[in-house]
Amino acid sequence: MKAGGDVETDQESSRRSAAESSDPLLQMQGIVKRYGATTALNAVDFEVDAGEIHALLGENGAGKTTLMHILAGLTRPDAGVLCLRGEPAVLPSPQEARRQGIAMVHQHFMLVPAFTIAENLAMDTPRSPVMFRPGPYRPEQAAQGAFEKAASLGWNLPTNTRVSELSVGTQQRVEIVKALATEARLLIFDEPTAVLTSREIEELFVMLRRLRDGGSTIILIAHKLAEILAVADRVTVLRRGNRVASAPVAETNAPQLATWMTGTVGTPSVMGITPSHAAAPNTSSPNSLTVEELTVSGDRGEQVLRGLSLTASKGEIFGIGGVDGNGQSELAEALTGLRRIQSGRMAWKGEAFPSASGPRIGYIPQDRRRMGLAPTMTVGENLLFDAVREKPFRRGPFLKKKALRTLAESLISAFDIRTSSQDIPASALSGGNQQKIVVARVLRSAPDIIVAMNPTRGLDIGATRFVHQQLRAARDRGTAIVLISTDLDEIAALADRAAILTGGRLTEYDVQASDSAQIGLLLGGVTTGGDSPH
Amino acid sequence: MSERPEPMSETAPAPADVDSPTLPTSPKRSFAGIVRGLLVAAAYLLGFVLLLMLTFVVLRIPPLVALHSLWTGAFGDARSGHLPAFSDTLIETTPLLLTSLGVVVSWRAGLFSIGGEGQLLVGALAATALAKYGTNLPAPLLTLLMIVSAGAAGGLWGALAGWLRVRRNVQEVISTIMLNYVAKFLVSWLVLGVLQEHTYHNPQSESLPNALLFTRLLPRQWSDNSQTSLHLGVPLAFVFVPVIALLLFRTKFGFALRVMGQNPDAARTAKFPVDRMRVQAMALSGALCGLAGVIELLGSATGSLPASAFSPGWGYTAVPVALLGGLTPMGALFSALFFGALTQGCRNLSQFQDVPTVLIYLVQAMAVLAVVGARAWNARRTGKEAE
Repeated sequence: MKAGGDVETDQESSRRSAAESSDPLLQMQGIVKRYGATTALNAVDFEVDAGEIHALLGENGAGKTTLMHILAGLTRPDAGVLCLRGEPAVLPSPQEARRQGIAMVHQHFMLVPAFTIAENLAMDTPRSPVMFRPGPYRPEQAAQGAFEKAASLGWNLPTNTRVSELSVGTQQRVEIVKALATEARLLIFDEPTAVLTSREIEELFVMLRRLRDGGSTIILIAHKLAEILAVADRVTVLRRGNRVASAPVAETNAPQLATWMTGTVGTPSVMGITPSHAAAPNTSSPNSLTVEELTVSGDRGEQVLRGLSLTASKGEIFGIGGVDGNGQSELAEALTGLRRIQSGRMAWKGEAFPSASGPRIGYIPQDRRRMGLAPTMTVGENLLFDAVREKPFRRGPFLKKKALRTLAESLISAFDIRTSSQDIPASALSGGNQQKIVVARVLRSAPDIIVAMNPTRGLDIGATRFVHQQLRAARDRGTAIVLISTDLDEIAALADRAAILTGGRLTEYDVQASDSAQIGLLLGGVTTGGDSPH
Repeated sequence: MSERPEPMSETAPAPADVDSPTLPTSPKRSFAGIVRGLLVAAAYLLGFVLLLMLTFVVLRIPPLVALHSLWTGAFGDARSGHLPAFSDTLIETTPLLLTSLGVVVSWRAGLFSIGGEGQLLVGALAATALAKYGTNLPAPLLTLLMIVSAGAAGGLWGALAGWLRVRRNVQEVISTIMLNYVAKFLVSWLVLGVLQEHTYHNPQSESLPNALLFTRLLPRQWSDNSQTSLHLGVPLAFVFVPVIALLLFRTKFGFALRVMGQNPDAARTAKFPVDRMRVQAMALSGALCGLAGVIELLGSATGSLPASAFSPGWGYTAVPVALLGGLTPMGALFSALFFGALTQGCRNLSQFQDVPTVLIYLVQAMAVLAVVGARAWNARRTGKEAE
């Protein structure tokens, strides 16, 4: 396999040097990708030169990952041209992309946890028909090339250790070696630092530079500004499926990048919605939800919220923005009593909860399929999760079926849920209408507090507008709403006050002033203002 | 730079998440719907009979004679009367019905219990033990207590698996199968030990006095003065069909149970007490199986519990019975009747034709295959329509 690999490399590099003079290594032109009514990529151009570290920057939902999935052969674009070394290329599958020298290191590693490192690497070596070889199978032999690659990077990977026993940083190395072993010359890293400790990030950056100096080209999907400034040569910024800018990193700075990334935050007309910030509520009023010094751990025991405090008054929407994975789900679950808090205090109108007589809390979870619906139960039944527990809908042990059906019927019409009947399974409805079920259920129970997490993710504009109207109406009826969203425009459109959640803490910002650079810096994890590591 | 108004998601949303222009239609009850349902049922039956005849041909049994023999075994004929055969069919149906209702409850709750067999055995065992040590109680009261204790014992046996699931995340598929073996050997050990009948002639417990056993329901003169087997336990078992149906579909508990079975995460998010309900569902499922055990015991001729082979595997057969019935109580009733009739029919067939008794399993398998095949075909067809 080694000899074959060398030949391949020689061919590639000669082709590359021939083309290098005129054409960039990669040219993507007018790439369009739509999902239903949603346009994920709107005629995006993207160019990468050979031998550079090119950062791709943008908020959640900007289209970074979609664009890179197209390049890695995982997704097919609806329109657009892709050229490699000046020649048009078609990448219908990840296999073909690999053959062309493109490999992706995914954010969620594509490794088999129960297999050893050698087995994982052997699985991926293309030129070893292991299936038909007689005698015992030796994965470390099949993966020899990969291990040599690792050694050349100065990594000593333990052959027979199971992947499940490795630290996340080492797992990432296995994933990188897997990509390099296929002689990939263009490596895509999907938010590689998201899962790493700061020391591991340092080591990763050293490795990225070494790979670049060894002739590889690297695309780095990122949203942390400091990291881009530290390691990238050039940066391209995407916003809402459009390419906003592309520039050498040396000619830019953190505030500039932040402005590009967030654009004109605070123009809710974008959503077709006029905000109502009329009554600035009194935050010190006793009619409020107060959270003090909240500390909560994640699923693996790591601390995700570190002494977080917030207030949301009656009749107020408190928006919490920020990039996914900064403790959003944990905060929502702690507020709704689904996750135990380690320390801190949560109170409603001065009284601590969770308790027996605590406030009624409605929860619009972020993943309606996983947490909000029983998919094969009927639309009607899905609307009644709370109602069946209320006295007026029961006679002795039995449910009042007629009253419940009438209630479901009225909710279907009040919330404009498009269904032919309440007796069809909820799974038959579109995503937007499924979300309306969840919203209808929460609002019907007239809760004191609503915790809504990305309530309009994946919805079309009509459904989005509807959900926003409903949340605003609930606010006007006196509900305290905590809106956790990765969409800053959504927060700008709805929230009376807002903060960004990064690193387990909240930093408040003025939602009306819409200083986009400031917000961008917050999003990028720069909490001290305009400081940049450069 | 023009702004895009649409909200976007970073990762590709699932295709079904995208709003579709056409509304799904409801399979509402209508005349056409009923006709269609009947046609489907007729197709099932036809397919089953064809498969059956094919099996007979392969086994070199004359198919029409064999079919007739099956039928008269299950439902009798004009010569020997219909009542004796049909009451035997109902007797066969009873333990299958109760255990499959147990399966309906646990599987609807998302708990894949295979523990009916063990729960049935501990039910019969508890009743037998009570009968031995509670002899000074009046007969009707003791019978009642035996029934209650069997339900309680089966319920505890099931709850144990539920508790292990909640506390230690032990998968109930494994734990219930293991508990079946524990129950089986517990019965052998106790029946050959403290519960052994006093003559030591047979490996079984003491015969029960007639006063404790279920009374036969049908008068002798209805069937040429011969005693039919139908006993009080049969209607008792059938009562649980509407009871479980009401519980599942008309109470808060049943509603929560179904939500949990569909999506435990959603149930937890909606603040249903998932852990508690898991134990409760397993207990209820076990109690139904325990009842199957005691009804079988009290409906038998002597009421003695053998050290082994008390059940021909009702607790296991219950799973295909319940699945064939679409995991609904009414479905379980018809499915159990079907399996009961098959068992009786095969018994008759093996008596009068030279065929092995294991033929019954072959025939049952044919029935399951017919339905599974028809459903798969139906699913593929409707899948094509949807595209």
